[in-house]
Amino acid sequence: MPTLTDSPRNVMEALRGDRSRRPRTDVTSAPGLRAMLEDGIFDFWTSAPATPVIVRASSLCNANASTDIALSNHARLRGVLINQLVRLFSVGATITSAFDDAFRAWRLEVNGGELYEYAQRLDGDDLARLATDVTSHYVTLSRALGTIPAQFQPRSAVRASVMLSGGTILLRDVIDLMVGTTLGQVANVALFDVTTSPLGAGAERSMRYHALVQTLRSGVVPLRTSVFSSATGEMWTLDVDAELLRRSVVDVLETIRAMVQHT
Amino acid sequence: MTTFIHRRAGVSELNDLIESAPDEIVTLDDDHRRSLGARFRAVPASGHRRIDAWNVERAGEPAHAFRWSPATTRRTLGNAALRRLLRDPLCGVLDAINREIDDQLMRDVAGYAPRASMASWLASLHESELALVRADATNWALQMHEIALGIELPWRVCASDAFYDIARARTTLRGRQDLEVTLPDRRVLLRIRSGSPGKSSGPGLRSDLTIATLSHPHGVAPARMIGLWPESGVCLGVDGTMSDLRAGARDLVRTAVAQQRQRQQVAA
Repeated sequence: MPTLTDSPRNVMEALRGDRSRRPRTDVTSAPGLRAMLEDGIFDFWTSAPATPVIVRASSLCNANASTDIALSNHARLRGVLINQLVRLFSVGATITSAFDDAFRAWRLEVNGGELYEYAQRLDGDDLARLATDVTSHYVTLSRALGTIPAQFQPRSAVRASVMLSGGTILLRDVIDLMVGTTLGQVANVALFDVTTSPLGAGAERSMRYHALVQTLRSGVVPLRTSVFSSATGEMWTLDVDAELLRRSVVDVLETIRAMVQHT
Repeated sequence: MTTFIHRRAGVSELNDLIESAPDEIVTLDDDHRRSLGARFRAVPASGHRRIDAWNVERAGEPAHAFRWSPATTRRTLGNAALRRLLRDPLCGVLDAINREIDDQLMRDVAGYAPRASMASWLASLHESELALVRADATNWALQMHEIALGIELPWRVCASDAFYDIARARTTLRGRQDLEVTLPDRRVLLRIRSGSPGKSSGPGLRSDLTIATLSHPHGVAPARMIGLWPESGVCLGVDGTMSDLRAGARDLVRTAVAQQRQRQQVAA
């Protein structure tokens, strides 16, 4: 049975855990999980939709599979900037001004879109408010994250896109930080997600989803999946096992069913 | 009859795909090169044209104007870092990336970097922007290293992409290649791409196969060309058969024709 832990002294310590207690690398579960998903979809699938159904971690957090209108552009931009800071952290960058550094890095990547236009429209007061907000989240994050050793092979903003049912369903995911490698005798991939919201019921589903998509993508079951709230400094960590992945399959099937019915 | 293989991108599946590459070696001779050259020369070119697998997959549709970004530098920096890592195993991936970026910055400081080159772009960046470039290149290098370490046969990181200039046709073909795996008497090429494969990924792979063969000094085709999409956990393969090489060459010529038609439409 997976256990939830909270508020670690050090995130890396919690992610890596005790090396001697890690399970052997599981390379056999992925085909079974894929088959469970395919069979589950086939049970309620009546006809293929014109456009692919796209499932994201956020789709699992919203029970009715619709976008949360309470999620303001300010909150989204804050989340994006905190993710940029995680990326900078992953390569050991020295951050002098959290907001300026994150904003510069983000501007280098984006070239348009709703958030970009929103950021362009911000006046001095709004920018100052956003900067204060980002800085406070950054302080919480940096205290917990500490230094990420290069030998842990940290990768940031790791994207995954798994096709199911002949490409009519896409499971998309972005893992904020991934440490470890899929090669080796024992499991050592740890997934780390950062959210600027307090942790709620959806966070656990989202953690399971990250583990499932990573398993389907790489064919190797990760060691741990975790989520950290930069709003509260709370961190939840789950050891990934067969039961957790099966629960995630059920979550995903329920979400797809709701999305199909909704459309 | 062309070939097309679809597999999951797991370690054992990839090794199976490499080891099962066909034994028969196909070679393109001077007649093939002359014939291809004649076909390209028959397509009028308003300027020097460059064709690669991406153009083939997009059916010659004009691409957006190129601009340097973390995404456009990650492969160059990541592959160079991996080559450095293989020369100096004590150096970590992040160290290797840092040294590659330092080399680029030195080129700019020394005045060897042309304007609009990657080196001059990197030199224009703020420290935090440079860190983002480093993060993207590290992702690429770690991912490629992980793939390469899973390969059981001898492999090397390709020194560069394959380029082939077609005489008097003002055309340069560019074939993407990241890893070369050596089997007894034959070789297999691997190409790593982000995102997910689409419907035109097969023709794209065949074009890379053809360009890799044309750029080989003796015209020897790779036994198999494998495209890897780690984000989707999928790999596709095409064999180095004469049918696949012909199909690849046809797609490249068709792309040149499509590009020319689109230019004419824009001009009209």
